[in-house]
Amino acid sequence: MAEQVIKPDLNFINEVINGGGESMKKCFQCATCTVVCNVTPDDNPFPRKEMVWAQWGLKEKFIGNPDVWLCHQCNDCTAYCPRGAKPGEVLGAIRKQSIKQYSAPAALVNFVNSKAYIPIMFLLLAGLLSMAGTFKIHDGDIVFTKFASTQFLQIVFTPVLLFGIAVGVLGVKKFWADMKAATGVTSGDLKGSITETAKEILSHKKFTMCDVNADRFIAHFLVFYSFIALGIATALGVLYIDILHMESPFRLGYGTPVKLFGFIGAAGLFTGALLMINNRFKHSAKLGLGSYFDWLLITIVTVIMASGILAWITRLAGVAPVAYSIYFIHLVFVLSLFLYLPFSKLGHLFYRSAAICFMKYSGREKK
Amino acid sequence: MAENKKVLVIGGGFSGLTAAVEAAEAGFETVIVEKTPFLGGRVTQLNKYFPKLCPPNCGLEINFKRIKNNADITFYTLAEVEKISGREGSYDVTIKISPRFVNDKCTGCNACNEACPVEMPNEFNFGMDKTKAAYITHNQAFPFKYVVDAKHCKGASCAKCVEACKYDAIHLDMKPETVTLNVGAVVLAAGWDLYDVTKLDILGGGQIKNVVTNMQMERLASPNGPTGGKILRPSDGKEVKNIAFVQCAGSRDENHLPYCSYICCMASLKQATYLREQYADSKARIFYIDIRTPGRYEQFYWKVKEDTNITLTKGKVAKLTEDPATGDVILVAEDVQAGKKITERFDMVVLAAGMVPSTKALKIPGEISYTDDGFVVPGTLKKGIYAVGSMKSPVDVSKSVQDATGTAIKTIQSARR
Repeated sequence: MAEQVIKPDLNFINEVINGGGESMKKCFQCATCTVVCNVTPDDNPFPRKEMVWAQWGLKEKFIGNPDVWLCHQCNDCTAYCPRGAKPGEVLGAIRKQSIKQYSAPAALVNFVNSKAYIPIMFLLLAGLLSMAGTFKIHDGDIVFTKFASTQFLQIVFTPVLLFGIAVGVLGVKKFWADMKAATGVTSGDLKGSITETAKEILSHKKFTMCDVNADRFIAHFLVFYSFIALGIATALGVLYIDILHMESPFRLGYGTPVKLFGFIGAAGLFTGALLMINNRFKHSAKLGLGSYFDWLLITIVTVIMASGILAWITRLAGVAPVAYSIYFIHLVFVLSLFLYLPFSKLGHLFYRSAAICFMKYSGREKK
Repeated sequence: MAENKKVLVIGGGFSGLTAAVEAAEAGFETVIVEKTPFLGGRVTQLNKYFPKLCPPNCGLEINFKRIKNNADITFYTLAEVEKISGREGSYDVTIKISPRFVNDKCTGCNACNEACPVEMPNEFNFGMDKTKAAYITHNQAFPFKYVVDAKHCKGASCAKCVEACKYDAIHLDMKPETVTLNVGAVVLAAGWDLYDVTKLDILGGGQIKNVVTNMQMERLASPNGPTGGKILRPSDGKEVKNIAFVQCAGSRDENHLPYCSYICCMASLKQATYLREQYADSKARIFYIDIRTPGRYEQFYWKVKEDTNITLTKGKVAKLTEDPATGDVILVAEDVQAGKKITERFDMVVLAAGMVPSTKALKIPGEISYTDDGFVVPGTLKKGIYAVGSMKSPVDVSKSVQDATGTAIKTIQSARR
């Protein structure tokens, strides 16, 4: 056998350990995980090989590796792991490193995912919002569009969202090129792969393959479709204000589409977010309570959900100072969601989709 | 000099027998208390020892002979220690003896067994066949005296065995007895049980007919086993030509047994040779995390590996299912060296199940400390009480014998205080 020089990247090892993969050194390579995993392909299956690469600090092995993203963190592997090495959680921590690899600037990944900096991040966002100075409590009925003008909100929110999407798209471009280089696959049916990927994501097919954590399917399904519903509601709101020049779509009747989508979204997000939190606690004996990386996203989603619903209730109750404060918090967290899109765990939206697509493109789909 | 006190040995398996015989041959009165109706323990259920591949009677027979010829050894079967109190040199012990319903007049003629109408699962063969309520485990059992199973026997209302016995050996009205003793030293040699494979849900949870344990495999290969020593699979009696061994079935797993059971790698390598000897065209495949053949056992591993029909694959089996049409077992593992998740079909699969100290389920009375896994913590034992063999950690027969022999001298010292 040819001589092979292993260059462990100690920094990478430490980052994985500190990012939720503290159990990774317990792995003794028995391969129970790859067998109980229902989503891995049979050739070069995961997550056993990722565990030894991470232990050895072989960072370059993860560049252009779609497998860590093909993992849906069912944690069947963690449930059956004889050593408590928690492969599902370790792969989550490796994905964080993958986000750092591809979402530029990487410094923002560090800021977003650091307990020390996160209050500063939120204060900055709140500051950015209040700087415009359009927030004022007015007399009469509570009207959120009078409190914060939609024009101003669009000036702040739209570029931030576009920035988040642009970073994600550029990251995916780089990731795609690396996946091609790593696998040597240069051609395939891109259009067909994209269609198949969309079908898979919309149907949540991979989530239905989980055994131990089968309940993750419904939680993720609800959160996913609730955000789509809320996105539609927001788009309709923009349509009402910008095109139909209506003062506030929030005051429309409850039967109108914008309200309907808003309610469906709120109800779904309420159920989905609570289920996600509940699942984390339900399986904590075996999985642990999860990393900061996980909880940041769960927290943002939950605060958006709770502040959205509370803003609505307090508006109806007519408690102006409370309603406006909650609405402000709501705006800050929605803005954070947009900004963090490619930098937090939400980056999976880009990279997991790209990885699934590449699996189909390269023909490495599970048989 | 102080008078010589008795030595009590709890458990009549190979460790207990050895400790008892060695102490007795040094001139100390020894009492063996055995829970089951026969002596010899787990070794009696084996087909062959590793690594020499000789039958268990080589070793057992000589010890039984030493017991028979030594007036200083008393043994109680169907007996359990109820109480131990006192100190080194003077322990008061209470022993409860359950009735055997068969006395010393028994000649082992088998007439009672033929007459008995009650069938029950044969525990000696791990439930792979049936036996009668009046029974003997096998043709070389010691004492060679039948027993009537109290749980299954219908009692005086049936009494067909009593009628059939020409020697007046069966008395269904025998009562439990209690014996009290004063001893100078106590040896804990309660032995081990096999890990309960019904807990291994992904390995079939004990529901797949052609998935057997390593101890069942010993019985299947043993001349006095349920198939007369021919390795036939349980579902349809088909000759087993293609077998897989699942190493660490429960062992080295924090969800089951967090420790290595020490013997299973050697046992599976040995059992692969059982099959290869019986059927020239047979194939065996052993799936492992690491092959652990400590010390000189490594040579046995090398020898077995030379057989090209025996394959060793690195990768733990984590899925077993049954093909209902054929009864074959479908196995899934990752072949780690090839980097492939493989699905293979086998005639029969053996679970290399781990060793659980019997004190996990049944504690010995007295102030004895156990680990969470049920092993005795030797350092915490009171003076004059000694644990041997698999009481302390998983261990093979030869190490048990060494341990028990060494322990005999300590018991002698305690019994003279």
